[in-house]
Amino acid sequence: MSSKLVEFKDVSFRYGEEQPWVLKNCSFEIFENEWLAIIGHNGSGKSTIAKLMNGLLFPQEGEIIINGKQVNEANIWDIRKDVGMVFQNPDNQFVGTTVQDDVAFGMENRGIPRDEMIRRIDHTLAAVNMQDYRFTEPHRLSGGQKQRVAIASVLAIFPQVLILDEATAMLDPKGRKEIMQTVSNVQTSQKLSLITITHDLQEVVQADRVIVMNAGEIWEEAKPRDIFGKKDALRKIGLDVPFIGILADELKHAGIAISHEPLNHEELLEDLWTLHLKT
Amino acid sequence: MDITFKNVNYIYQQNSPFAHKAIDDLSFHIPSGSFVAIIGHTGSGKSTLIQHLNGLVVPSEGEVRVGDFLLTKDKKPKNMKELRSRIGVVFQYPEHQLFEETVEKDIAFGPTNFHVDAEEIKRRIHEIVPLVGLSSDFLKRSPFDLSGGQMRRVAIAGVLAVRPDVLVLDEPTAGLDPRGQKEIMHMFYSMHKQQNLTTILVTHSMEDALKYADHVIILNKGTKYMEGRPEEVFIQKEALHRVQLDVPEVIQFLDQFEKKFNQPIPFMRQSIVDIAKSIRNVVKGDASK
Ligand SMILES: Nc1ncnc2c1ncn2[C@@H]1O[C@H](COP(=O)(O)OP(=O)(O)OP(=O)(O)O)[C@@H](O)[C@H]1O
Ligand SMILES: Nc1ncnc2c1ncn2[C@@H]1O[C@H](COP(=O)(O)OP(=O)(O)OP(=O)(O)O)[C@@H](O)[C@H]1O
Ligand SMILES: [Mg+2]
Ligand SMILES: [Mg+2]
Repeated sequence: MSSKLVEFKDVSFRYGEEQPWVLKNCSFEIFENEWLAIIGHNGSGKSTIAKLMNGLLFPQEGEIIINGKQVNEANIWDIRKDVGMVFQNPDNQFVGTTVQDDVAFGMENRGIPRDEMIRRIDHTLAAVNMQDYRFTEPHRLSGGQKQRVAIASVLAIFPQVLILDEATAMLDPKGRKEIMQTVSNVQTSQKLSLITITHDLQEVVQADRVIVMNAGEIWEEAKPRDIFGKKDALRKIGLDVPFIGILADELKHAGIAISHEPLNHEELLEDLWTLHLKT
Repeated sequence: MDITFKNVNYIYQQNSPFAHKAIDDLSFHIPSGSFVAIIGHTGSGKSTLIQHLNGLVVPSEGEVRVGDFLLTKDKKPKNMKELRSRIGVVFQYPEHQLFEETVEKDIAFGPTNFHVDAEEIKRRIHEIVPLVGLSSDFLKRSPFDLSGGQMRRVAIAGVLAVRPDVLVLDEPTAGLDPRGQKEIMHMFYSMHKQQNLTTILVTHSMEDALKYADHVIILNKGTKYMEGRPEEVFIQKEALHRVQLDVPEVIQFLDQFEKKFNQPIPFMRQSIVDIAKSIRNVVKGDASK
């Protein structure tokens, strides 16, 4: 049984006393060595959950436990050693004057020895394919390059909980696949809890588990295949299913008896081939 | 408005050790009324290119023509303000174009600046806010206390409120939820048609380019790598792979289907319903139908 790294117990949150609740009684757990995707319409509360996890915000009700410690103002620096986060807009998190300084910054705060730091800078910048930009000022990068550097900076601190809040939204499809492959390798090799907040349905397919947010509440929590089986319900709350699910539906309408909800091209092709052999 | 780039070079931090050529001898012509998609890998120069369109940057060499406005290194048009009132740009990161204390003031900023009268601005705001998927409850809120997707919608509303002739959209659907992505692209497209706009869309979504654009320009390292009709460009798998790009998912699927079944289903921009029918015919062994 792998250990629990994150726990939300009946968490409710609002940005001010006069303001509406944006999270309502949310409870969930995330385990070591698990990839959890959080999806939901704009304003459903996803980024708020992320900010609660690393103590940028505190809940008015309920409690949040990270790696056995309850998140509160006294221990946020401790918590942030365990929790790495990439924000929706990378400009909000650059601190270094060069790309290399930026990657070094988080490590300096954690007291990582100098030669280990140099090793990790080389390694993480290469992993996101930004090794040629070491001495560039972060604000002089293109939109997608900024996201790559922000991801390198967080990978360099070896967090136990890694939160990516739409961290690949500006990457081209190939770049996105490559970066997510890198992140997923790190996730399994270091047994991290990886939390990806995304509108990219293709990325959701790869997660172990999915939480669907709707208007501040947890609407559903299940494996990707079960989530994407609920096509009409998802569309009602502003979401959709990946291309392959849409095609599978049209094939059903055209009179093909698809046996189970496909998650990728290979599964659907395999299914079609089996049907073909039977005719 | 017609848009023409003639041998444009753009160099960041020119005459410094950090000089970097982001646009390299780029020429193209976009006739008024076109819907053009600009596609290219990370850092290929897309955002730099579009900043030329409203004079945010001027070419280091060569010339850019937007309607009657000419932009060169030595010659910025005198009526820059008029240019900016006619070219609406939605930037890649919406935070870069939000600055007022309320959403309402933010949307009103552009038209106020271009001397649209207050009554008319009010009318426009009430028309646009629902189109971008927001309710009037948002108008009194601070644009900085919104979620990422909500900020994106406010930024788009602010650009539309100016009623530009040319819409320049730099990954306008990044950060929107799946329904929002569809609705907002659909809204841009209907405006494009109804108001006879010229639209330039920078996107990583091959699907959107395929669905809406009548012309695509593929950039690679600041130069034009390919251009043409989307259905012609997007079937050139090897050429696209060489510049880090992929064909749209539907074409990838048809390709894999052909390999498995040894029967092609050519892509001709047909609907997914028609594709499903063709697949059924092959699977059921009556492809002749
Ligand atoms: N600083 C703030 N002050 C007040 N309200 C806020 C603030 N930040 C967010 N909100 C509100 O809280 C709700 C949840 O926002 P949150 O950023 O968590 O949404 P999200 O699910 O991440 O959405 P998106 O997909 O658009 O990024 C939204 O209705 C938003 O308007
Ligand atoms: N302000 C700047 N100063 C110096 N170089 C810059 C600046 N902005 C961008 N660049 C460089 O110019 C090149 C083109 O950048 P641009 O932002 O146009 O790319 P892009 O195609 O929009 O990429 P993306 O898809 O990642 O947004 C990149 O290599 C980038 O590093
Ligand atoms: Mg968010
Ligand atoms: Mg860009």
